[in-house]
Amino acid sequence: MSAANLAPITATDSLSQALKANIIPNQEYLLQGSVLDSAVEVLLHRLRGLCDNVDAGTETFDDQEVCFSLRDPNQQAAPLMLRVRKALDARDMPFQLRYIGQPDLGDKSRPTVVRSSLDIACSGMLIEFLNELGCRIEFEYSVKGYMFRKGRMKITVSKVFKISQSSMSPEPISQSYLVELSVLAPQGQDAIGEDMRAFADQLRPLVQLDKIDYKRLGHMS
Amino acid sequence: MQREEKQLEATLHAILNRVNDLKTAIQALISKLENEYETINWPTFLDNYAILSGHLTGLSKILQSEVAPSLRSVVVLPLQLGCERDEALARLTEGRVPACTHDLVPDLLRTKPEPQAEQRLQQFNHKASTLSHDTAQKQVAQFTKVISHVWEIISKGREDWEGESMRSAGMQPTHSIADTHALVTAVGTGKGLRPGMPSMGPSGVGAPGLGPSRGPAPQLGPAAAAMPKAPSAIKTNIKAANQIHPYQR
Repeated sequence: MSAANLAPITATDSLSQALKANIIPNQEYLLQGSVLDSAVEVLLHRLRGLCDNVDAGTETFDDQEVCFSLRDPNQQAAPLMLRVRKALDARDMPFQLRYIGQPDLGDKSRPTVVRSSLDIACSGMLIEFLNELGCRIEFEYSVKGYMFRKGRMKITVSKVFKISQSSMSPEPISQSYLVELSVLAPQGQDAIGEDMRAFADQLRPLVQLDKIDYKRLGHMS
Repeated sequence: MQREEKQLEATLHAILNRVNDLKTAIQALISKLENEYETINWPTFLDNYAILSGHLTGLSKILQSEVAPSLRSVVVLPLQLGCERDEALARLTEGRVPACTHDLVPDLLRTKPEPQAEQRLQQFNHKASTLSHDTAQKQVAQFTKVISHVWEIISKGREDWEGESMRSAGMQPTHSIADTHALVTAVGTGKGLRPGMPSMGPSGVGAPGLGPSRGPAPQLGPAAAAMPKAPSAIKTNIKAANQIHPYQR
């Protein structure tokens, strides 16, 4: 009964408490690579041998992702990018809203890219809400493939498709599958990077998983 | 006294065994070299040297061990020296030493290196002792440099060779860096995914996108929702961004 006399614990309180305790997995450790269509079966076979979640067959996914930007008209700051993801193969699942920070590649000694990442599940009203907020669609794509899990590590092997304007079937943007190895962890758990490197080495020479800075690549080409 | 003799005998026996092992190994090596030199597999042939060196290490271990000192106090006394053929000796040595001649004794009973070798060793020792520390350091550094250079050449050669053998073995590339970069940039920045923004216009109606749903189309879900016109979206953009600022603070 005495709890009623105390100030109620608000969501903000528990959030700041969690932040203080550093238990929020808001850092994404990431390695990326690709595998040619011709070799994807070999890779899947190897992953089936290495990963945990293979007892009930390979997990597949078919998602659509839309990237929104929120520009700041007063300052010329970089626009805030928000990503919305929706499962096309499981319509009853919530939308996923995601913020991804700037990738930090660090120096040679750092095994993976580290970037801040916040995920939250949302209802279907999300798109409308973002639109009212002033967000603009930057680009969208669909991504279809396989998901594997090994301990805390997540491995996705997926095909990225351009959303076609007409009712034509979506067009793949390359002859390869995108391979991503990622872990979400609270700040400062850098040891996981070494585990990821070790796992990535087991996929060589089939796939070369690396730290890739897409910002720099975008400027180059 | 008897105990010492027994010990000596045991030591000799062990040494004899080792020497015999060594002998058979050398014999095998020589016969292989003489008879199979055309079909020999050289890497496996090199293993023979490993066997030899193993036997030699075993032998030197016995000689260094505790029982060895008793050997030092034993004198080998040549009893007979002559040019006549000694059948017993020839049999003992499998025909290699027919007689205990003046020619062979200095070699067989030698306990020190040959005088020539001894002299050269002394020369080297003298040279080494007169060398100054700096020059020695310099030479060591130079040597290290040369060795590391050679090491580099060899490892580079090995890499090339291995790469070639991989290629010749029919290993096709399973990944392409260009594709990796294309995919990562597309997902990261939308490069190649922005269709010149026509999807923002009215032509984008019916596009299977997650466009912002406007108006009543909930039964179709957002996947089949109509897109708004681009200009209006931008306008709301500016307004809305101004409005949301207070909430951010």
